[in-house]
Amino acid sequence: MNNIFMLVIIWAMLGLLIGTLALAARLTPVSLAKYGWLWLILLGLGAALLGGGLGFWLFGPECATPMAIWVAVLAVCAFWLATARNTKTTSVD
Amino acid sequence: MDNKSGGTMPASTKRMRTSADSYSRKRRVGVWLARCVLAVGFLAGLYFSVVPMGRAQARAVLILPDLLSASLPPWQAPAAEPISSVQTTMTSSTGTVYLDIYSPTARPPVVPGAWEGMLFIPGVGDERFVPQVVNLSKALARIGIVTMVMTTPALIANRLDVNDENAVVQALHVLQRWPGVDPKRVGFFGVSGGGALLSFAAADPRTEGQVAFVALIGSYFDATMLLENIGRRAQVVNGQMEPWQPTDYTLEVLTETLVPVLSNTDASLLLQAFGSGQEKPLSPDQVAQLSPGSQAFYHLLAGDQPGHVRANMAAMPAAAREHLADLSPSRVIGNIHAPVYLLADRNDQFVPASQSVSFAAALASLHRPYDFAEFGIFQHAEVRSNLSISPQVLGDSWHLFLLLTKALQVGT
Repeated sequence: MNNIFMLVIIWAMLGLLIGTLALAARLTPVSLAKYGWLWLILLGLGAALLGGGLGFWLFGPECATPMAIWVAVLAVCAFWLATARNTKTTSVD
Repeated sequence: MDNKSGGTMPASTKRMRTSADSYSRKRRVGVWLARCVLAVGFLAGLYFSVVPMGRAQARAVLILPDLLSASLPPWQAPAAEPISSVQTTMTSSTGTVYLDIYSPTARPPVVPGAWEGMLFIPGVGDERFVPQVVNLSKALARIGIVTMVMTTPALIANRLDVNDENAVVQALHVLQRWPGVDPKRVGFFGVSGGGALLSFAAADPRTEGQVAFVALIGSYFDATMLLENIGRRAQVVNGQMEPWQPTDYTLEVLTETLVPVLSNTDASLLLQAFGSGQEKPLSPDQVAQLSPGSQAFYHLLAGDQPGHVRANMAAMPAAAREHLADLSPSRVIGNIHAPVYLLADRNDQFVPASQSVSFAAALASLHRPYDFAEFGIFQHAEVRSNLSISPQVLGDSWHLFLLLTKALQVGT
């Protein structure tokens, strides 16, 4: 269990880092102006934990961390893209 | 106002605007840098988790520090996968075979659904408890390879026995049936003399299509050629004869291997000279007591007649020459269909590196899949201690990484 606990810590740290990088990359959704930064970091954290867990189950522990990374990046980018699209649609309407 | 009307801008406003522009440019660079880092992370993560080659490389990256430092690096220890080890025996035609199995305790991941297996003969002698062997076996188990370390009574007695091929085939079948192991993803890993036994087993019709790869380190190809190298105290490197000095242990193994086909008197004298792991030359009177064939064998091992190697080889007892031919992987190379990965220490004193070069050349001429790499970081089959970062260590590590990736791809 010790090794899984360590991996979860690593995934969580990577998730927080990816959330912070997404903030620096200005991927904060416009619709979440007030607490957008917090949501983005939490999204990175959650997606990294989810991706890590999925990678652990699917491919084993050594491929779980790479999966945590790409799932977290995908999540923050997808969130930004989706909200940007919604904002555009709303403004066109 | 001045600015709008096209007049001159005050110096302080100009400086502020320049500084604001510079800040904005820096921010834009920062934004794009963060986006690039995210993109690289996404692509690398996707490659190392979803693409089979990437998964093999991720595992190779994890095991490489273990291999180079000959121990579990402290930074890996907290996240190291738990493993179990089991010691068991089985009976074969040559006696009791000792099997130490290291396996992951977790269930295999969904992809590929089962563990890779590796049958590992760590060389001649009882090498099962050598720290580097135990460390390597544990490291392999931690990345999801069920590793079976095998040895036989002949190997423990510092002897090579061609009949141990049966024991290897039996061990392979035990490993294939081991819980969690995919029977189609089992490879061989042989060190030194152990490589020859694995080559025989890989060429055996009973294992046809069942061996995923054969990885050999510091192994010999032709026992007759090896004895010639010993007799000359030289090996051919790039077409040039170069001096080569064998270790006393190499002489001991060859003596122990060949004495069963010699008379008791000859065997006893030859063991007295070479059987203790320390060469003790016989007196001229003792040499005279040997039969002519055994005298020739003695001179080859002692290296005291480098100019008469051909004649001494021809004068050796026919049974001994046949035994050498039987113990040569060159005899069965045409029947090895699995990819062969050859690793050799450039300055190997146990088995000359030219043996691996000949092995590679023979595989190339048969158009068989193989890879060959010479290393400076190994001492025969063990990683040299106190390695510091140098171009050679980095280059060797890279070659080792490539070979590891190929061997690990079987399990992904």
